[in-house]
Formats: sequence, structure tokens, C-alpha cells
Amino acid sequence: MIRNRWLLLVFRLVVGGVFIWAGVLKVVDPLGFAQSIMNYQTFPRALAFIIALVLPWVEVIAGGLLIVGLFKRSSAVLISLMLIGFIGLVALALARGIDTSCGCFGSFSRRADLTLILTDLGLLYLALCVFFAKPK
Amino acid sequence: MDARKTSREILLIIILSCLLGVAVNISLLRRFVAGEFRQSFIDEREYAGIRFISLAEAEDLFARKIQTGEGAVFIDSRSRQDFAAGHIPGALNVPVGELKNERKTPSGEALSAALSFPVDQVLVVYCEGGDCQTSVALATLIHERGFTDIRILSGGWEEWVAAGLPEEGSS
Repeated sequence: MIRNRWLLLVFRLVVGGVFIWAGVLKVVDPLGFAQSIMNYQTFPRALAFIIALVLPWVEVIAGGLLIVGLFKRSSAVLISLMLIGFIGLVALALARGIDTSCGCFGSFSRRADLTLILTDLGLLYLALCVFFAKPK
Repeated sequence: MDARKTSREILLIIILSCLLGVAVNISLLRRFVAGEFRQSFIDEREYAGIRFISLAEAEDLFARKIQTGEGAVFIDSRSRQDFAAGHIPGALNVPVGELKNERKTPSGEALSAALSFPVDQVLVVYCEGGDCQTSVALATLIHERGFTDIRILSGGWEEWVAAGLPEEGSS
């Protein structure tokens, strides 16, 4: 368990910053994000549309709250749950041989591959450190 | 108690996100409910040059091309392996999976090179069929290069094969 408050602040800035950035890029292009979700061939069209409208805002709000320190642990849990979902989705796509862009950063998105899973695992570790932390 | 507090806060964030998502995108929601975006989430206003076509229309374009040697160019967005196994005769293969960061890398330039046609050339893009989305992704990339008449074969390769239409390739 990490207790250094400055290190935890860095973790919050990194995870929160990534989520705000990812969320804003999707907020400005909900249709592009909906199409990215469809590319995973996992969700029905209506659900993909609803996710595309709501999830970016969850990312922005949870990321923002994590940075400012309000609802800190809840935001960390929510971000961790989202990351677990993203990891599962990418793993499923890889297992099914679906070759697609991740859709995670709008037009800056990269391929949904193993390195993306590793990146998400890294962010998940940081988010869980924030959740379990008991600063000195 | 801590778990209950956490759940409440998470629920609050989700409700707030739902409200913002709906409020900001109310016009998109109306268009979705009205039946738009049934085939893809392409914005018809932004991508006016892209439309979906049926197998019958694709067959008609193909027959005209065979008879006159002119007309639509078919573009297969599947992988090289799938393309080698069988494709629409005369189709070009532009595997979307190989187009990383399309606008900036050499593979993006390769796409431009593959599309050495006038911008008003009729292009018919297809992928595997069913839920496949690579034809949509490729069509938008082509549209961004200025092409004005891009048609996506809704049923894709599967529908073409099932209808017993001509094939080219090793299968």
C-alpha cells in the first residue's frame, strides 16, 4: 500500500488526466465513438449508441473528481471498473481475431492490441493504489 | 458503510453523466429514434458521399463493369489472407487493419496510391458481411480523401457468395 501523498497525487493526475483527455475526445465526436464500439462486434446498435453518449461523460467527471480530490475513492473505483471493462473488451476482440482501432482516444486511437491491455493494466494499478491508499 | 457511500457516489456520477450525455446530444438522440444510423453511425450530413447499397445494386454495377469495362471499382477492406481466399473479380484489396494512423504514416500514403482514380469515380466498398465494420471505416477514410460517390455493400462478401455471384481467388 502506497502512503506517500505526493506519489498518490501524481497517480491521480496521471489517471485523471488520461480519462479527461480520452473522455473529451469522445464527447466531441459521439458518432465516431459509437462506430468504434460497433467495430468490436459485441454490442447491439442501440446499446452502443447509449454507451457512446454516456461513457465519455463518466470518464470526464470521474477523471476530474479524481484530480480535484472530491469523491476520490469512488472515482478510483469507477475508473478501475471501466478499465477492467476495456481490458475485457480488447481481450475478447483479440481472441475473436477482430482487428480494429481501440476507439479510446477519438481520432488519436491506436490499435486494440496487447500493448493497449498492458497500458490499461498500468492505469488500473495506479487507480487501485489511489483507492487502497491511506495517506500519512 | 463505506461501501454504501462509495456506491452512492458512483451512482451520482453515472446519473450526472446520463443527464449530460442526453442533454448535449438531444438532436442526435432524436435522429436515432427517427431511424437514422440503422446501418452505421456515419453522419449523413458530414459524409454525404457515402451510402449503403443492396446486393442487387452491386450486382448491377458489377455486370455493367463486365460488359463495358467501365463503371464502379470494387474495394475489398478485408485482410490480405481473406482476399486471397476469394473476392469479387477485379476488386482492389485495401486491408483496413494495415492502415495504422491513416493520415500520417506511409500506409496512409499507400491508401492514396491505391486510390488513383478521379474523385467522382464510383467506388463499392465491402467487407466480410454480417456485423463487419471495416467497409464503413474504409469508406470514411476514402471520403476524407475527397471521393464523392462511395457505396457500401451492406451484406458484404458473405451475401455475394451466398448468391452464387462470380468469385476470383484460390477458393
